[in-house]
Amino acid sequence: MHATIQKPIEEIVNYIKPGEKVFVVGCNNCAWKCHSGGEEETTAMAERLNRRGVEVVGSTTPGQRGMSLCKLDHTRKVLREDYAEQIKKADSFLVLGCGQGVHTVIDATDGAMVHPGCDTIFGGETVSDTDINEYCSLCGECVIEFTGGLCPMTLCAKSLLNGPCGGAENGKCEVDSERDCGWILIYERLKQLGRLDLLEGYREPKNHAKWSRPRTLKVSPHEATFCSQAGKRTVSNQD
Amino acid sequence: MKLKELFDRGEFVISSEVGPVKGAIPRDPDFVPPCQQEAQHLNGSVHAINVTDNQSAVMKLGSLAASVRLKAKGYEPIYQITCRDRNRIALQSEILTAYSLGIDNMLLLTGDHTNLGDHKEAKPVFDLDSVQLVRIAAELQEGRDMAGNPLMFQPDMFIGAVVNPNFQPLDLQLIKMHKKVDAGAQFFQTQAVYDDRVVDEFIAKAEAFGRPIQLGVVVLKSPQMGAYMNRNVSGISVPQAWIEEIGAAAKGDRKKKAAEMTGRFIKKHKSKFQGVHIMPLGWTDIVPDILAHAEIAPPRPSAG
Ligand code: SF4
Ligand code: SF4
Repeated sequence: MHATIQKPIEEIVNYIKPGEKVFVVGCNNCAWKCHSGGEEETTAMAERLNRRGVEVVGSTTPGQRGMSLCKLDHTRKVLREDYAEQIKKADSFLVLGCGQGVHTVIDATDGAMVHPGCDTIFGGETVSDTDINEYCSLCGECVIEFTGGLCPMTLCAKSLLNGPCGGAENGKCEVDSERDCGWILIYERLKQLGRLDLLEGYREPKNHAKWSRPRTLKVSPHEATFCSQAGKRTVSNQD
Repeated sequence: MKLKELFDRGEFVISSEVGPVKGAIPRDPDFVPPCQQEAQHLNGSVHAINVTDNQSAVMKLGSLAASVRLKAKGYEPIYQITCRDRNRIALQSEILTAYSLGIDNMLLLTGDHTNLGDHKEAKPVFDLDSVQLVRIAAELQEGRDMAGNPLMFQPDMFIGAVVNPNFQPLDLQLIKMHKKVDAGAQFFQTQAVYDDRVVDEFIAKAEAFGRPIQLGVVVLKSPQMGAYMNRNVSGISVPQAWIEEIGAAAKGDRKKKAAEMTGRFIKKHKSKFQGVHIMPLGWTDIVPDILAHAEIAPPRPSAG
């Protein structure tokens, strides 16, 4: 999921020009889990803006719980069919979701003015109702087969691939004494799994062309094509 | 001169360390920058001098400029270069540049994280790690860049790397050291060590790699410094006994005491290493005294 946190309300209010009419859109999947743009936060945002003198012409969190704002056909249908009247009056859309969701609203409205209501902070695991942690940096070339499934790109502050720097102290990272050194976590896990052999051998530098942005993915039931500056890579999901 | 010649001759290689200034070197030819002043104090006591690369992620004069200045004045610099601030293009280019400017020895490091320095909002690069950097430096010496393109002329330098004997679990640090050896590291300097047990456990395993290792020591100037290092300097721990011993000396006697303690420690362990790397943190004037306590004959002066 994409972790998001709401921007401070003053910052959001500053985005909106005097007299600008705003429609608020939330996301009933990731932003709901983050309490940054679920149904409750979206309704509340409309009220908070109203209290600060911003004219809100409507708000919605498209779909049932679990439905993502970034599913374009759904969002487009909801906005155009269920909220056609309010949207006509809107000068802009405040989006409580991730950056992908903001773009979805641009697409769904054929290019309306949008305001981001959240900072998108990382892709994370919903560890519990209160904790979302980052375990993958979406690098496009996964190396965690060799690290017991723990990502050195993400859990090591320096994204080192061939083992730790010398800076860890008492198992904690040199950058933050509260946080575990990712490489010590990897080592302890592989040791427990009896697979320290995976740490042997040279790991090549990352192909950062696969981490170039923007990237695209074409998908079908048979195959998928990942397109980056490293070129096109098509992989079958059948054979 | 490559330190290789000294190691090959069986010399006990002594190095120390200076940091470039926060600022430029003035054009005035008579001006002596601080790193050169420190080098003057070390003249005759050491074979070579490490020049740090924006150490602790604090922005300073480049290590290459300072290394070139020391070289021009007759000192033997060990040019440090880290992965923190440069991508693979810049790193390779820097190595070619360093050789072209007369540098013979380099020490390749990961580098402290930007978060520890004075530009915390900088983008940390870490495009390569230190193992990859060593490998790529070795490949450049073979006449090709990391993309496989041939070089018209290849550099020829002595490639050093670092290892931290204090690291727990030590075996994980040794896995990395092993990779550095395989990648082409020709000598090692250790992080500062104070603990006899740490030295012995480390060297028992590390000597099998068959590369010269210089024992790293940082002069402990005061009990406060020991406590500070334990709190703030990543990867180094100072035992309580050291802190108490330096604390028991009157302030005016601490330089003498520090030289004695450091020398004693080196003397105890020197037979296990091929050299020592002394980080005097400004007390460069006690280095001869340290060597005397360690019963190590200083090399002949190299520069004026
Ligand atoms: S290696 Fe890349 S893709 Fe794999 S978990 Fe880490 S960041 Fe994600
Ligand atoms: S201490 Fe560990 S997690 Fe932190 S930068 Fe070094 S190797 Fe990475």
